[in-house]
Amino acid sequence: MRSRWLIVAGIVAVVAAVAWSARPLPETPAQRVDRISSELRCVVCQGLSVKDSPAESARQMRDLVAQRVSEGRTDDQIYDEFRASYGDWVVLSPPLFAWSGLVWLAPLVAVLAGLHVAWRRSRAPPAVLPDPPSAQVAALRERVAREEALDAP
Amino acid sequence: MARWLRLLIVAAIGALVVVLVLAFQRDPHDLRTGTVGKPAAAFTLQKLDGSGAFTVTPGDGKVVVVNFWASWCIPCKQENPALVKVYERYRTSDVVFVGVLYQDSADGGLTYVKENGVVWPTVNDDQGRVAFSYGVFGIPETYFIGRDGVIAGRHIGPIDETTLINGIEAMRTKAKQ
Repeated sequence: MRSRWLIVAGIVAVVAAVAWSARPLPETPAQRVDRISSELRCVVCQGLSVKDSPAESARQMRDLVAQRVSEGRTDDQIYDEFRASYGDWVVLSPPLFAWSGLVWLAPLVAVLAGLHVAWRRSRAPPAVLPDPPSAQVAALRERVAREEALDAP
Repeated sequence: MARWLRLLIVAAIGALVVVLVLAFQRDPHDLRTGTVGKPAAAFTLQKLDGSGAFTVTPGDGKVVVVNFWASWCIPCKQENPALVKVYERYRTSDVVFVGVLYQDSADGGLTYVKENGVVWPTVNDDQGRVAFSYGVFGIPETYFIGRDGVIAGRHIGPIDETTLINGIEAMRTKAKQ
């Protein structure tokens, strides 16, 4: 009995140690600059973030983000400053509740519409083909018989 | 296919066509995003010739033309004769021209100014802060600021004489009305 309690206590201790080591650590200012920069679009590049771009303007944007972080501005205040100049376009993940939020909604609507069409089709009765006219059937049978006669050794 | 689904598809295609037609009608030199229609940021930067700081205070009753440029930028050189000509035309008027050097060395900018007849105030935005506050994508870019301090329009790419004069006159006429 005692050994069972020891095993349980050991497992609890291991789980607690893992949870403790995996806890989110407070962000350093440099990590915050990196995170915000990776969410901002380089204004002179094709689809690159400010963090990933080697362009001079991206470097200057990173410097501005670093300055704002050191001034104690919140993430939203920093994003808003860039949005005021460049619009929602400058943020790589456009806000959900804005016109640009349609880019999130459109794929969802497309998937739902596709599922609806698939569901309707699966419920529809199988198509019933009308019987061909007897003259056509007779002509086809005659043709098959002719071709079989030709193939016969 | 259900009638409503057919109507939905037709409506979606129609909406797409309308969006494309509207998008293709836009002048790519006149993007109406960002700062256009909003109050222009005031700024103070060091003059290129080293004679001290220069302050731009939009909304003080003057029409302001802000041109972002660099000495290495070929389209900036292409538009320079138009800027020189139009500056001479409005030199004694209430129109203020400001050239903002962006992403360039002060030495390179100063040489360019001397060689290309740039006599209007030119300042150095060495950290790009003014360019960001105006929403500059690349150079050259020209901003038209009305007497009320609001950015009335901007031109992306090399600007010609007619576009410059039209932009300035639109703001002067608007102010008189």
